[in-house]
Amino acid sequence: MLDAFLQGLLLVLQWKALAFMLFGVALGFWVGLLPGLGGATTLALMLPFVYTMQPAEAFAFLLGMHSVVTTTGDITSILFGVPGEATTAAIILDGHAMAKKGQAGRALGAALTASLIGALIGAAALALAIPVVRPLVLTFGSPELFMLAIVGLAFIASLSAQGARGMVRGFLAGGLGLMLAMIGQDPQAGVARYTGDSLYLSQGLDLVPVLVGLFAIPEIIELVVRGTSIAGGLPSQRVSSGALEGVKDAFRHIGLTLRCSLIGTFIGIMPGLGGSVAQWLAYGHASQSAKTPAEREGFGKGDVRGVLGPGAACNSKEGGALIPTIAFGVPGSTAMAILLGAFFLLGLVPGPDMLSQHLALTFSMVWTIVIANVVTVAVCFLLLNRLAALTTVRVSLLVPVVLVLVFVGSYTANSQYADIVVTLVFGVVGWLMVRAGWARAPLVLGLVLGKIAENYLYISVDRYAAAWLGRPVVVVLLVCAVAVIAYPAIQGWRAKRAARA
Amino acid sequence: MHNRASLILSSAVALFAAWGLVSAMSWPLKAKLFPLVVGIPLLCLAIAEIIYSLRDKSTEPPRDIPADVERHRSLVAAGWILAFFAAIVLLGFDIAVAVFVFLYLVIQGKERWIFSAIFAAATWALFYGLFDRLLHLPFPAGWLLELLGFG
Repeated sequence: MLDAFLQGLLLVLQWKALAFMLFGVALGFWVGLLPGLGGATTLALMLPFVYTMQPAEAFAFLLGMHSVVTTTGDITSILFGVPGEATTAAIILDGHAMAKKGQAGRALGAALTASLIGALIGAAALALAIPVVRPLVLTFGSPELFMLAIVGLAFIASLSAQGARGMVRGFLAGGLGLMLAMIGQDPQAGVARYTGDSLYLSQGLDLVPVLVGLFAIPEIIELVVRGTSIAGGLPSQRVSSGALEGVKDAFRHIGLTLRCSLIGTFIGIMPGLGGSVAQWLAYGHASQSAKTPAEREGFGKGDVRGVLGPGAACNSKEGGALIPTIAFGVPGSTAMAILLGAFFLLGLVPGPDMLSQHLALTFSMVWTIVIANVVTVAVCFLLLNRLAALTTVRVSLLVPVVLVLVFVGSYTANSQYADIVVTLVFGVVGWLMVRAGWARAPLVLGLVLGKIAENYLYISVDRYAAAWLGRPVVVVLLVCAVAVIAYPAIQGWRAKRAARA
Repeated sequence: MHNRASLILSSAVALFAAWGLVSAMSWPLKAKLFPLVVGIPLLCLAIAEIIYSLRDKSTEPPRDIPADVERHRSLVAAGWILAFFAAIVLLGFDIAVAVFVFLYLVIQGKERWIFSAIFAAATWALFYGLFDRLLHLPFPAGWLLELLGFG
């Protein structure tokens, strides 16, 4: 085992594999920075180029590229409030709020450190879990996966605001997200639902234009209204200082960073839940870590823990997602499904062979994730001051450039003008939500989870009738969901009692 | 505005949920199960929020910028966003990007002509070089250009 582990490292350090990996990292770096252009799309675009490569070189190239996309996606999300990737939207809530307070350097430092820790945890999980993960994955059937989706939604909806009304708004936003996820052709009966006879809508709402509209358009309007730079006219040295503070934050809240890394890894392992879910669950967990209601109110307004959680989970999920892909040939996400294609292109069959005959190659993937992330984080730290200084650029220069990125990013989702219309519609929805004090996170999670949840609910009912509700893991998850909803109420009641005393 | 925005949103959600439920009635069980499971509580929650909003008499805390200035600037921002979209549809991305950036800088940003022209050219070069030449993303010519036979 140790031999294969070291052989894996040597495979990655061969000059050709290393060169391909660094090229992939450079490509992933820019793809992550650009809104709309997803890591999965780039993987698909690069797939034809691996035909002539050796397996170790091909995986160094593809995985090197893919594993850094979310790290640099965080940068765009924090600095401009525009999701660099669909999987880096949650970090906007507190990361961009910090940038607006002149703490861009601290937010970036925290996000990068959390990303690195997350990636290392994910890679370690991949290295350790392959032999033992099979029983865990097999325990989770459709009922358990449906309940996991419900727990996620309960998590984020109950934490979005304070009090009964906040809870109503949180679940309202989550429910709206679930309803929006139903737009398109239904997978069971083939009925076109809520499409208004539109061919574009028959495929369902694409996540990228929705996210860009929901987060970026209100941000642009806010920038024009304020008339100042993102950092609100604070001097640039104050903006870019504090990166070290961000690094310290990651270690100050190391428990949270590690827990969110594990959440990301776990969600990554579960097939079908996807990376977008991991970040929101981690965000929900981070806000749950607030000890008092007052402390929780700080989330969404620039709490560094809201940066650490999603930052760690986003990167750790990659290692997790590789586990079922390599071990069983079951891809955990779209990107992993594309990567699975690379296995077949290279004449490899995922499954037991990858854990015996090609074990060194499997470990080379672990090393690729580690080295690619270390290189990216090091480069980002070198460029940090320049990146953070972008938040002091005056608004008249920033708005047109960000708008170009928003519209191009949205259009590239399906190369249709309708993508931009969706962005504009959700821009209005996002703006109204900000004005009304509604949290946007539950809506996004509902949209992400809707299709998955419906599919799993249908299979559960069809396969087990009502008996699925009695499965032990389902019961445990149901209790978790109820506890998650009840916890803020209990916390509020305790705080009131303490105040009275 | 806080409550008005919430009232508008919750009313829209209530209408959407009601329409969703009515539409779902005619579908087979397989297709309507999830819409009903989600739609009914969503409608109830939306009605609850409408009642909350109508009964809530609290006012929004004062902001740094006066309300009328804020409203005017919001409308200006929305106008620019819609104008850029119209330019993209009519002229295509290639031309709209350069024209929009230039006009925004001159009119809204009150920047000098020369600076605006150089900045717009640089933004266009970045867009064209990266998305068109390097990534080969398909950007169609605008409707107006197609109509004139330049598409």
